[in-house]
Amino acid sequence: MAAPRRLQTDHVGGALLVVMGVAIVLLGLQYRMNTLVRMGSGFIPVVLGVIMTVVGIAVAALADREAGPSTQKGAIRTRHVALPEPPDLRGSLCILGGVAAFVLFGAYGGLVPATFASVFIAALGDRENTWKSAAALGGVMVVFGIAVFHYGLRVQLPLFGWSN
Amino acid sequence: MHQTLMDLWFGFGVALQPHNLMWSVFGVLIGNLIGVLPGMGALTTISMLLPLTYVIAPVPAILMLAGIFYGSQYGGAIGAILLNLPSHPPHAVTCLDGYPMTKAGKGGTALGITMMCSFFAASVGIIVMIFMSPILVEIAFKFGPTEICSIMLLGLLAGATMSRGSPLKGVAMTVFGLFCGVVGTDVISGTARYTFDIPELADGLELGAIFMGLFGIADFLMTVNRNTVKISKAKLSMKDMRPSRAEMKEAFWPMVRGTAVGTLFGAMPGTGPTITTFIAYAIERKISKTPEKFGHGMIAGVASPEASSHSKTQVDFIPTMSLGIPGDAVMALILGALVIKGIQPGPQLITEHPDIFWGLIASFWIGNVLLVILNVPMIGVWVRLLRVPYKFLYPAALFFIAVGVYSTKSSLFDVGEVALFGIMGAIFLWLDFPIAPIALGFVLGPMLEENFRRAMLLSRGDLSVFIHRPISAWFIGACSLLILAQIYAYVRRVRIVPPMPDGAELVAE
Repeated sequence: MAAPRRLQTDHVGGALLVVMGVAIVLLGLQYRMNTLVRMGSGFIPVVLGVIMTVVGIAVAALADREAGPSTQKGAIRTRHVALPEPPDLRGSLCILGGVAAFVLFGAYGGLVPATFASVFIAALGDRENTWKSAAALGGVMVVFGIAVFHYGLRVQLPLFGWSN
Repeated sequence: MHQTLMDLWFGFGVALQPHNLMWSVFGVLIGNLIGVLPGMGALTTISMLLPLTYVIAPVPAILMLAGIFYGSQYGGAIGAILLNLPSHPPHAVTCLDGYPMTKAGKGGTALGITMMCSFFAASVGIIVMIFMSPILVEIAFKFGPTEICSIMLLGLLAGATMSRGSPLKGVAMTVFGLFCGVVGTDVISGTARYTFDIPELADGLELGAIFMGLFGIADFLMTVNRNTVKISKAKLSMKDMRPSRAEMKEAFWPMVRGTAVGTLFGAMPGTGPTITTFIAYAIERKISKTPEKFGHGMIAGVASPEASSHSKTQVDFIPTMSLGIPGDAVMALILGALVIKGIQPGPQLITEHPDIFWGLIASFWIGNVLLVILNVPMIGVWVRLLRVPYKFLYPAALFFIAVGVYSTKSSLFDVGEVALFGIMGAIFLWLDFPIAPIALGFVLGPMLEENFRRAMLLSRGDLSVFIHRPISAWFIGACSLLILAQIYAYVRRVRIVPPMPDGAELVAE
């Protein structure tokens, strides 16, 4: 039995490509195109954008076929027909938050707070970590970071204080 | 011939200088150390450690990078065999028979066999590299912009279509990578493109940021709270690692065949190591007298794929160093690192920087000997490292990534770039796009554009120049064959690239 038509991975993927491709073309048209002999700076990106759009349409158009009757025969098996499970929300937010914290505290605080904050926040993303274990890991990484990156590799980030 | 041996002697002299040797040892050690951690593939490891090489001179830097590379590759094999966890896709095949061997209490033997095979295969690969490169360089000097364009096109196309998953999606990701390479100041006209008036973008996107975002952060995003990393209970000592005579015999011919497969594929730009190992495994199963035993701990199923991936890796350096065309994402990264160091790989590299080229070759051998020396006593430590839980691993790795990218240019903006590429990489992975082609596209993009524009200038805008020049015509012919083969495969619904075994599905690239 064919499953009822649902939004398939490749429809979303194809749409994403088309959006990106069109955006690249539109932005690229601001730059000089010129001719094939003396290509302007916009020529290549516009060509890339067009290819991306066309490929995107093809990906979306072929989505149904690939998941079609052939799956029953088992000749070809597309792994994810319906959209797969998205990444874990808490984990993702904490990981991205960890990187953001490094940028923020790196600019307004220095290496030590940046290290602790990024490790602590990122560690909280794993459901098995507790406040305590995350803080402990952060502490360990601070000591390690000072030793290796500040004294060892002389990273240009002050331990504390404003970098600029 | 005589000249080659003299050059090699010179190379050993370079690689054995205490300063260079030290970095090489350090690279192998730290690559192995990080590579063995669960979830840290060769790509993640190298991109994370890339900034370490910025502070040292080009020669030790490239020796260290190569050391990191095969150190992490071997580390990945340890995880694959003991944990059934392929952190680098070429090892997915090794899991099939390696892990059953571990379950049968033969994990040590499997690791010993792997070590033997990788050493043998790498040696063969190095010898091929020594004798092929000068020949290739002679041909390469006949290369103009037209030829460079067509061979790059072939490499990109092969990289896009021969990787995991749908070829169309591979092409899409290659184009995306090429576009990422466009961002920044146009070298020919000086126009700032797609910079949105952000001054930090004028120099283009940061190589390290892209790689660490795509292969580091994106991987964390996909894995966190979703992973089923098993904790290894395997206990290993040095004694277990020595295979018996019968086992050595059983492994010998598969090892030779695997090496041959790897060497053959290494010479073709764009074919990744994953497909090479799959083909090596498929061949073994086909010619075996007991094909039904594969997947239940056959030594041949470990020996042949591991040998193929190591010889392929070595041979892969030929197009990377002599033509400037990387074979896969890892090579692209190494190429990018060279460019950052102000060294443009290409036919001139061997003559202009003989210390790098021959030093690198010699260091391969030294590095492989080091791997054997290091791994035999260290295996107990590696096994313990395999038990580091993911919940501690990824926050620490995230910090290394952040500080590593920052240290490249002392720029916090680049750290933000990592987060952005992490999100994009996760979206692509979620939508089942392969992400390795992005890396290849990004590194080759600027070169491809420059050469294409130059070729068009020389031919006065005549596109047919690509088929009128003989060398270029061959490459274009190969491209067409690739496309035809893909269309044929699609219509007949056969898969060219074998599907991943279960367990490898979530792993990035």
